[in-house]
Amino acid sequence: MTAPLLDINTWVGAWPFRQLRDASVTGLLKRMDKHGIERAVVGSLTGILYRNAHPANEELSRQVRRHLDRFVPFALVNPLDPSWKTDLQRCADDLGFLGARLVPQYHEYRLTDPAVLDVVDAIAERGWCIQVPQRIEDRRSRHPWDQARDLAPVEFEEALAARPKVGWMFLNTLGLDGARLPEKARYVVDISRMTSVLQRNMQAFLDSAGQDRLAFGTGMAWNMPEPALLKLDLLDRPKKMKDGIAWRNAAKLLKLP
Amino acid sequence: MRRIDCHMHVRGAGVDWSWDHNDRIIEAADALGIDQLVVSIPVMRGMPDHATVRSCNDAVIASMQQYPGRILGYCYVVPGQKESQDEISRCLDAGMIGIKLYNQYKIWDPAVHPVLERAIAEAVPVLEHAGHPTTREFRDEQPNISDASDFVRAATLYPECMLIEGHIGGGGDWEWSIKQLREAPSVYLDTSGSIIDDGMVEMCVRELGADRLLFATDMTMEGGVGKILGAELTRSQREKIFCKNFQAILDRRTDSRAGATS
Repeated sequence: MTAPLLDINTWVGAWPFRQLRDASVTGLLKRMDKHGIERAVVGSLTGILYRNAHPANEELSRQVRRHLDRFVPFALVNPLDPSWKTDLQRCADDLGFLGARLVPQYHEYRLTDPAVLDVVDAIAERGWCIQVPQRIEDRRSRHPWDQARDLAPVEFEEALAARPKVGWMFLNTLGLDGARLPEKARYVVDISRMTSVLQRNMQAFLDSAGQDRLAFGTGMAWNMPEPALLKLDLLDRPKKMKDGIAWRNAAKLLKLP
Repeated sequence: MRRIDCHMHVRGAGVDWSWDHNDRIIEAADALGIDQLVVSIPVMRGMPDHATVRSCNDAVIASMQQYPGRILGYCYVVPGQKESQDEISRCLDAGMIGIKLYNQYKIWDPAVHPVLERAIAEAVPVLEHAGHPTTREFRDEQPNISDASDFVRAATLYPECMLIEGHIGGGGDWEWSIKQLREAPSVYLDTSGSIIDDGMVEMCVRELGADRLLFATDMTMEGGVGKILGAELTRSQREKIFCKNFQAILDRRTDSRAGATS
């Protein structure tokens, strides 16, 4: 058995193109309890397609405020929103958020755009981590109106190079080459799309990027959690390394005990 | 509970997928409790010549011989090639248990009819790569990919054929596919593919019934097993999906051959 589980990749809310089951905080808690997941970083799926994401953050804040022992809420931030600074301040001071999620593919920017780096810096000044998903839905099954691109690996590389001291967490990624990511940057990548058998790209990433660069992530409530649990269980690496993936690597960035 | 992965691949014939040796498949199967894997090596782009098709099947036969009892084979053919029927004979004689089609023709195309008729005569299943891509990019890449409506059309022509629509989790809009497949009760659906969307397997069972679902990974091995283990199913439903349904398909040929020789 590994250490307690910290899931850095969970979402609640609605998605316009597919009904999600139990995608509420209550539903997520039930699944976390069932699978022994002690804490989860959670963000709003609903807000991704809102022109103004802030009401989705307010809604998420209301839902999780009695469960802050289980959740680490991350605010959805749109750097192109004219009031991002005010919204960010409200998320921190009034709504209890502890990190930020960026979705460049839906808000149409690159992480290294100068104006975006200003927002990255403002988030980091609060001591927050920043999560970025490579994609939300698989390109093969997206609704035709969902035109968002998958982020290219180079976009993650450039973001790390531009802001190596920021605590980055990359979600739903596949195809990142650990050797190309800056050695001194602060980041973890979640395992939700990787494998520990057959292709063994978790092992390849650990070998190329470093032993503390992976973190447990399921993609709930979009995904089923069992595949991620199996991957961690079957990973043929020492318990200490698996414990790091289960909790420690992400907890260190999040400043959790 | 036994597990038969009915949609898998091996490396060979110049196709290396993304692992260094087929031992990795067996190691993964051991770790995940998969007893048998039914494999093929299809050509994924263009219209290969027969020599290429034959070399793909040779590599599958080699893997069957290397891992006897663990790896079973599908005979990959390109319908319309004059050598297809002989190739099916050669592969079935070598112990293969079914036929694999990729995206060279729609499954209802008249070019495919002789293959389907042969499958009926031999009492073997036909697994076809399938999908309902939602974007022009993917449709343009595979203009002849069969979707569930194509399976409905083929099943209407050949309801006695054991058609398997490949990878509900790797073929685009799975909700569309499941709903469409309600109209073809003779068609099986395999659960493979890298998509592990919550609720997908449950919708398959709800709309099609557990008797028509076949466990498979198509190289997404933890995801393939995890989506069946995690779905809200009864033990009986899970067992059907993991092994009983495909075992019944395998038994059809065994029974057919026993009947022919008695």
